[in-house]
Amino acid sequence: MKPDKTLKTREMFAIVALFIGVKLSDTTATLYSQKVQNGFWLSVVVSLIIALPSFFILLHLLKLFKDKNLVELLEILLGKFIGKVVGFTIFLTSFGLLVLDSRNYVEEVKLLYFPESPTTSLYFIFIIVCILTAKRGLESIGSTSWIVLPFIKISMFLLAFLILKEIVWLRIFPIFGNGLDVVLTEGINKASIFSEFILLTIAYTSFRDTKFFRRGSYIGSSVVSLELVFFFLLYALVFDYNSIEKVAYPYHEVTQYVNLGNFFTNVETFFMVFWLSAAFLRFIIYLYLVAMVFGAVFNIKEHESLLLPLGLLTVSSGLLVENTVINELVYREKLLMYSTPLYVLLPYLLWIIKRLRRDLK
Amino acid sequence: MNLIKLFILMVPFYLFLTGCYDKTELEYQAYVVALGVDKGEGDNTFKFTYQIANPETGTAIGGGSSNEPASEIITVEGNDFLTATTTANASVSKKMTLDHTKVLVVSEEVARSDNFLGLMQTASRTTQIRRQVQIIVSKENARDFIKDNKPQLETRPHKYYQLMLERSTETGIVPESDIHRFFQLTEGDADLFLAMYTTATVEKTKNNGTEDEYKAGEIPKKGGNPAEFMGSAVFKEGKMIDVLDGQNTRLALIMDNTLEIDDLLSTYQDPVKEDYKIAGDFSKKSPTKVKIDYRKDVKTTIDVTVPFSFEVLAIPSLVPYSQDEKLREKLKASIEKSLEKKANKLIEKAQKEYGSDPFYWSLYIRNEFASIPDYEKADWNKKIWPNAEVNVDFQMSRLEFGKMVNDSQLNEVRD
Repeated sequence: MKPDKTLKTREMFAIVALFIGVKLSDTTATLYSQKVQNGFWLSVVVSLIIALPSFFILLHLLKLFKDKNLVELLEILLGKFIGKVVGFTIFLTSFGLLVLDSRNYVEEVKLLYFPESPTTSLYFIFIIVCILTAKRGLESIGSTSWIVLPFIKISMFLLAFLILKEIVWLRIFPIFGNGLDVVLTEGINKASIFSEFILLTIAYTSFRDTKFFRRGSYIGSSVVSLELVFFFLLYALVFDYNSIEKVAYPYHEVTQYVNLGNFFTNVETFFMVFWLSAAFLRFIIYLYLVAMVFGAVFNIKEHESLLLPLGLLTVSSGLLVENTVINELVYREKLLMYSTPLYVLLPYLLWIIKRLRRDLK
Repeated sequence: MNLIKLFILMVPFYLFLTGCYDKTELEYQAYVVALGVDKGEGDNTFKFTYQIANPETGTAIGGGSSNEPASEIITVEGNDFLTATTTANASVSKKMTLDHTKVLVVSEEVARSDNFLGLMQTASRTTQIRRQVQIIVSKENARDFIKDNKPQLETRPHKYYQLMLERSTETGIVPESDIHRFFQLTEGDADLFLAMYTTATVEKTKNNGTEDEYKAGEIPKKGGNPAEFMGSAVFKEGKMIDVLDGQNTRLALIMDNTLEIDDLLSTYQDPVKEDYKIAGDFSKKSPTKVKIDYRKDVKTTIDVTVPFSFEVLAIPSLVPYSQDEKLREKLKASIEKSLEKKANKLIEKAQKEYGSDPFYWSLYIRNEFASIPDYEKADWNKKIWPNAEVNVDFQMSRLEFGKMVNDSQLNEVRD
């Protein structure tokens, strides 16, 4: 027990629910649907089946070693040098994904709500808000997440409720979309979409008691998984197989389609407010965790002072990509594919090493 | 001291207050309510007609400017919806916004051309044109339709379109036909898309029709707004191929489970006194059951059961149906038979002439396939549907007689 730390289960749950849960409203759905078409919600199930056990194994290892975060665990099990190298690789891939993903969100906001504003200024404002909030520390991030979580989830489920009358259940068939083999390969390739679970474990020791972290992770990850599959299924049922791959932002396409009765039409701005706060929190958490990994690898105690340089680096590298289609379908897809083995296999590897070491001793 | 520091720190934030790039005042925007598309002078150009609503009409604040018309109509030639708005701005003083567009009126000429699908693609790319915009096919040029459409009671165009479309889709004489559905059906590459059919120029009326056996422009009516919404334009693979009348549109909607139809009042022949007609309210409370028996290389059979209830509204022949069991049975059988006959005729037409179905029935065969390539290889439009054996069965589950037990007897009144 660390009485000076305030983070508990509910904050962890809120962090997981926002950090991973916002994926239901960004381009992740598009990424999956490109090849699998209407079976893409099954690919998400496959990805989760692959990614979650790794996460749980890692949690198990962290429990055994008590009071160690991800990088410290790596150093103990793999030796100081290799541990640092692996930790740095995790930093590089996560940072890369952060850059590509944040650009995506900014483009999404620009395209849908601020068509006249230049990407650069939107991106700067976005990241500056993230840096300033992240600087308040993980405690504030956790409690902010917990405060806004109900509003965000209620707005999302209101949207799901409103679109229910437009769905056609039979569009679920052909059940495997473009074929069972495609469902499986896509699901496996993109498992690293859930690599963020692994990234979360860097904050393992920041909680009042590590058992809160574990409990929050278990509850959070199961709720988020159900939510993601439900929403992706909804998109498949609303858009059907040949159209789903053409829609870049299914969540926003749905918000533009629904009405609250005859009087309240064009209600997408209502949903935009909540979505935007969710997006902000996602990147606040993301940036903070990435800074924590970097701090842990290079033994920088004051990792919060890393937020500013990392944030500005995010903007400048995020702006390098020419447009959002290339960003999403080329760079993000490639990076996700190459980093999958790292994130999925690493916990198993650590676990095996742990077993061997105990046997040796 | 601290206060001064804080103040100095806050000064830069004032910059943000002015910096909204996307700020547009309501005053500076022109809301397009109806968009019309006609064939242009060039091969791939169109004439776009914008009906811009005047927000001051019909409101209390508009007191001083009551002489302004309810809307302004402007037509320009262009390549797509958005770039043409810039051309239109040559004479429109405000920024044209398509966010509140309710309908997309397409002339039959454009709908029947190959360019239509390409045009619709441009509509889906922009965030301004929403998926709930209804596609309306007009018999004449879209510009003429928008110009001649002069509702007298509901002068504000956005309200007119909203109410008109809502009511006419409720009665089923026109189908609901938003852009979203157009893409689902067209990209699904099976089934036919039905769009509302309309006209504002009455050429020749049809005098022997019953309440819904008309297409737009054929209704014998006097007075009122010249615009009529009746029947549907049939689209196959993104191209218009035919027009269905109101009755067939209603039948198609009854058999399609993805669309709703609430108010279906119509007349049927009186089985006892054949000169008369019986009026009633047809209502479908549970979905149509579609069972497809698909086996490779064997003729597919499609069994369709439509459960419905019927409420008798008028019996001009005064035959006492409500009292007599046998007469009731006779009426029931006659209504079922008449519906089945009409449905079979429509299905035959769809199989032989259209080579696809307007009922969205391809949905019911999709569970036979594990993957999309298998499903597409089986080819609903070319192989399965035209050769299928379709059995339609209308089943009346309830026959009701409204709030009268019996009609007055003619011989008793006139003795």
